[in-house]
Parts: sequence; structure tokens; C-alpha cells
Amino acid sequence: MGGYGDVQMIDENGIRVDGRTAGEIRPVSINAGIIPVADGSAEVIWGTNHVIAAVYGPMEAHPRKIQKQDRAVLDVRYNMAPFSTTDRIRPGFNRRSREISKVTAEALESVVLTELYPRSKIRVEIEVITAEAGTRCAGITAASVALADAGIPMTDMVISVASGKINGVVVCDLNKEEDNYGEADLPMGVCANSGELVFLQMDGDLSPEEFQIAWDYNMEAIAPVHEMMIDALKRSNGGDE
Amino acid sequence: MSDQNARGGRDGRGTRLVTPGASLGASEGRRIGHGVVENEGQLIAVKLGALIENEEEVSVIPSHTRYTPRPGDLVIGVVEAVQSNLWFLDINAPFNALLPMSLGPGKAEFGGARNVLNVGNTVLCRIQEVDETHSSVVTMKGLGLRRIDSGIVEAIPPHLMQSLFSDSNVLKSLKSSTDCRIILADNGRMWVDGDSKSMSNVISKLEQIRAMSRDFSSLESMVEILQTEVY
Amino acid sequence: MATPPVPELLKTHLTKLAESDERLDGRGRFEGRDVIVETGVLARAEGSARVQMGDTIVLAGVKFQIMTPYPDRPTSGGFMTSAEVRPVCGVHWEAGPPSPEAIELGRVVDRGIRESGCIDMEDLCILPGEKAWQVILDVFALSDDGNLFDAFATAAMAALRTAIIPGERFDVGEDRPLPVSKTPMMCSYHRVGGRFVYDALRREEIGGGERIHITLGDDNHVHSLQKGLKGAFTAAEFDEIMEHARSRCAELRDLVNN
Repeated sequence: MGGYGDVQMIDENGIRVDGRTAGEIRPVSINAGIIPVADGSAEVIWGTNHVIAAVYGPMEAHPRKIQKQDRAVLDVRYNMAPFSTTDRIRPGFNRRSREISKVTAEALESVVLTELYPRSKIRVEIEVITAEAGTRCAGITAASVALADAGIPMTDMVISVASGKINGVVVCDLNKEEDNYGEADLPMGVCANSGELVFLQMDGDLSPEEFQIAWDYNMEAIAPVHEMMIDALKRSNGGDE
Repeated sequence: MSDQNARGGRDGRGTRLVTPGASLGASEGRRIGHGVVENEGQLIAVKLGALIENEEEVSVIPSHTRYTPRPGDLVIGVVEAVQSNLWFLDINAPFNALLPMSLGPGKAEFGGARNVLNVGNTVLCRIQEVDETHSSVVTMKGLGLRRIDSGIVEAIPPHLMQSLFSDSNVLKSLKSSTDCRIILADNGRMWVDGDSKSMSNVISKLEQIRAMSRDFSSLESMVEILQTEVY
Repeated sequence: MATPPVPELLKTHLTKLAESDERLDGRGRFEGRDVIVETGVLARAEGSARVQMGDTIVLAGVKFQIMTPYPDRPTSGGFMTSAEVRPVCGVHWEAGPPSPEAIELGRVVDRGIRESGCIDMEDLCILPGEKAWQVILDVFALSDDGNLFDAFATAAMAALRTAIIPGERFDVGEDRPLPVSKTPMMCSYHRVGGRFVYDALRREEIGGGERIHITLGDDNHVHSLQKGLKGAFTAAEFDEIMEHARSRCAELRDLVNN
């Protein structure tokens, strides 16, 4: 987190560089069933972020040593395509991607009924096609829709949003420009119906009061995004509501 | 929770599409069917699909499923690997099934399993048993069970297999309208044999159905496609 | 058991279809699937395209970097292609370092473009011996239902044709379109049921034999050839394919140029 206090990112009326108010998220659109050969798939377009998720399985887990005797393994891969950022990303091993893959898998394992498919593997492939800021959140959200689309049984769908702080002001869903000057970042993954958290990270500096505002902003963003996820699944699965 | 429990009316119209996590109200003593779980007296959908709700039961007809083997199912498998006294079969399930030599199509000398069934062969077999981790053993001892040497195997989403062919006339008219021999297996596979023109007719019908397969409200039109006369 | 076996029935069926000159999806032997090309689909790439052929979907993105020219060619820029076939695009593609198949894909696409001379490397020079543009082409598979080669090659040319050299961002002059003087196009043929077909489906690829990839330039000059997989073909078979490639490449070229 940079913390360049001298760049003014919010005007006196509390309006942000892209015209949003503090608690507002970027425009979001979600589509399901976009990869014909996958068992389930989805894309989340969140601001300029474009993230795609595909699900394959459950299938036999290879090699045998990765099998779990009592449940399925969620084999999650988060990856940024080489053309997803302003400076090209060289393909290959990447510690950041590994960490995000791990926490995403753990978030989704909390809702997927993995115990129904012991010794098997469910592959979840998350590809960032265009990155702005908040790709890990968009990835978790896209993966939830793709898992539902693949008919994987799960007790809830996870929606992920981040709030942060710029110029000492707490705002929801930082865009790239704001993120460059961000003083804190609090991404959360929340179950749409139960309201429980399955994903939580934070870095930066937030006072107890600021932390509470950031937390509340994230919670308020869950329901509208959940509606879009349901709508996407209905559109691709013949629902007419 | 087996995918094959998912049954419902032929007409999906008027039903509600639910997503995982959707709250379905209190159980009120109703039977909990496919795709639904109970948590402290409250019912929750765990699968994407059409909600079927009546006085006795609450269940979800899934929009997409993976085949889960059950004893007695007729399945079409492809040999993936051969060992000295058993075969491993891909049966479209999360796991390969085992076909032990004793349940195979014929006797072989030790080490001669390959001469009886080789990798890449397709067989019609029956699920003999399934253990709690979904591993299954299949048998080829039984009427009509055999190696398949002609025709082609097509895929249909397993959950559609039952709804589409619940009326036996559908298969009958599909066979007569296309002039093909057809065997429906429970694992989402269908064996089709005939001259190449006839087979192409069936394949193109199935292609249309796969494209519509996620739309639970289109069951009737899918049945119509299967029964339409081909010229 | 990583690679599932080819079902014998599929091979037999493909052979049977070939006898009456038919294909799995009813297409003619040399009939391609409809090709849909969209450009400007990637916000962070300087040039981009999405190509869909049936259930095969790919993306191509062009990025630029500043490089030091090679000592033996101090006034030349660079061009590099990398193909990403990640497990997102199909159950049969596995995670891990690029497979030999993915590397072959990238290299065959690269050769056709490079050897056609459609990009003027001298034009990419900024300061002789010190600075030049390197064009980096990334092709990325989203959904593989066969013939990634042609999908990649088509997307690649559509992306290059719309690419803008980002001079301003690198502080080396104004933004300008990447000059692309020709449109090399690739056509791929697979042996299926004994004879060659154009634009194979995934099921035709797995039940088929060897494949041949031909890249032709604007004037029908040959710029790259590749024979892949086990199998042998005759000169007469090659003549027939080449004749079809000449007309099909021209059609694809019109599609990409407009």
C-alpha cells in the first residue's frame, strides 16, 4: 500500500475519481455458461476487470496421493493472462497466484458439499483476462457461479468484495487508480444467504472506526451482486423469472 | 443424494429455478428429495435447478449432473487400463469402475486379459456393487451384456435420460423414425447403430438436445425433436 | 491414465462415415465451421481479437516492450509468440509447464507470421543499436473443440492488424498503428477415417491420424508448413490439400482484413 496523501482522489462532496460515492461498487455484469466445453462456467465483468471461471468434474483425482478419503479435492487455479495488465505478465510460476488459488479453494470448500464425492477432484480454473483492481474478489465470485452452473452441490454461493481507504476516507471497491494510492485493502468473501464469512484478508492501516465502515460497505454490496449471479444462472439455464 | 433420484413432471413449466443456498422455508415434515438439505428445520437448495414442491416432498431437478453409479444400472464403459486379472472402465462417473476377470466376457490365461478386452474397447455392462466412496464393480455376466463392436456411443446429460424417455413410446418412435438400433444406458450414454445416414440423423437430434439441455422448461420440445419423423 | 484412450468405436465410426464422404457434424470434407472474428476485446492489450469456430473459442493479445536490438541486427525490432493452452479450455488439457503440444502451437503460429514478413522489423527501430520495439503476441485458448491452430492463427492476425504501438506510454514518440503489410493465414487438415478433412472437431482429432498445417501469404506464397503426429501421406494428398488451402486462406484473409 502506497499512502500518497498528497494526491486528491475524492472531492469535497465525497465524489470519487470515477464519479462514485464512497459506498458504491463499480458496474458489474455476470454471465454463466460461456465456455461450451466446460461442465460449468461464468464470467464476471467488474469495472474493467474481466474474469472467467470454468469447472470440470467431479472426476478421478490423479495422482492418487492428492486424493482425500472422505471428500473431494477442490483443485483451484487462479491465473492472470499475459495480456491482462498494462505491463505484460510472463507466464509461469507465481507466488501471488499460488496464494490466491489457495485461499480461494479454502473459501469455496466451505460451501461445496465435497463429502459427497470422496477421493475425487473438482477442477476450478480462474483466468483473469483483463485486470483492474480486485481480481481475486471477482475470481471467487465467478467461481461460485461456475460451480453452481456445473451442478456442484453447495450450501451457499460466495460473493467477494473489497473496501479500502484513500486520502483517509474509507471507500468500497477501489478501482486501479485508487488502489495505486490506497492506504488499506479489506477483501471479504461472504455467503449470500447465511451471511457467514469464508474468505478474509487485509493489509494497510485502518482505525477501529474505519474498519467497521469498510466491513459494513462490503456487507452492503453482497445482496445486489448475489441478485446478478442468480439472474446470470437463470438466463443460461432457462429460468424466466 | 443420488442424481438419479431427480425425477419430476415431464412439463417443467410453472416451476421455479433455484440456485444453491436458496432458502426453501420450513420442512414441515415433508420428505427431503434430491438437491435439498435441512438445517435446523429450514430447507436449503444445494443445486441449481427447478424446484419441485408439494405436500409430501421438496426436491430440485438439477440443470446439470454427473453420473453417480447405483447397483443394477445398465452402463456403457470404455476400457481405460488392463491388468493381469481385471480391467478399469471409464463409465462417465467421477471414478473408473472395476471389471474383474471373473465377471468379464470370457476366460483368459493369466496375463491374457488384453486378448479378451483391450484398451479402447467399449462394453455394455451392469453395475454389480458400489461402495461408500462411489467405487464400483461392474459385471458382464447377464443377458445382452457384451462387447460393442459397431455403431457409436453418444452422450446425453444423465438427468435428462430418465425425463426424456420416461414414456417408452419416445424411444420406440426414435428407433423407427431413424431406423437405428439404440440402447439407453443409465450413465448418460446411448449406443446407436445403423447405416451412416441413419446414425447421422440420431446424432443431429442429440446435438440439438444437448444445446437445449440446460433449459428445464424445454423438455417437451426435446421429446418432440426425438419423435420427429426424418426424411 | 492421464490421457484417456481413443475409443475403438469412434475410429470405426469415423472410417465408416468417410466411406460415404460424411463427417460427424454433417459438414463436407473441406467445409469449415463459421468463423466469428471480433477485435478490440481486451482492454489492457494494444491489439486484440476473439475468434470463435463452433465451440472452439480463443483470444489473442498484442503487447509491446522496448528491447535492445541484437548486435548483428542493430536496426531491427523483435517479434515473439507465446501460446497459452491452460486447463480452463478443456478437461484434457492439464496444469503445469507448457506441454509439447502447446509449444508446437505457438511456434507454428509464430513461423507463419514471421516468415511472411508482414511486420517490418526495421520499422520497429527507435534508436539504432539501443532501442527497438518488441512485439509480443499471446494467444490464449478459452474453449477447445478442435483446430486450435487455425483459431490461434486467425485471432493472431486480427489482433496484429488492430495493434497500436504505445509510443506515448513509453515516452518514445506518438502512438501509431503497427504496420502490418500482409495477412498470412493458416489452414489445418487432419487425417480422419483415412482421408484428410479441413477444420477438425476435437472428436475427429482424437479419433484421427496425422495433421498438416499450411500458412499462405497474400500472394499464395507458402510461409510455413508443419506435419504433426504419427502417419504418412502421399504427394497427391498434399496437392489436394494445398489447392483447398489457397482458396480457403483467401476467404479467411478477407474476413480478417475487414
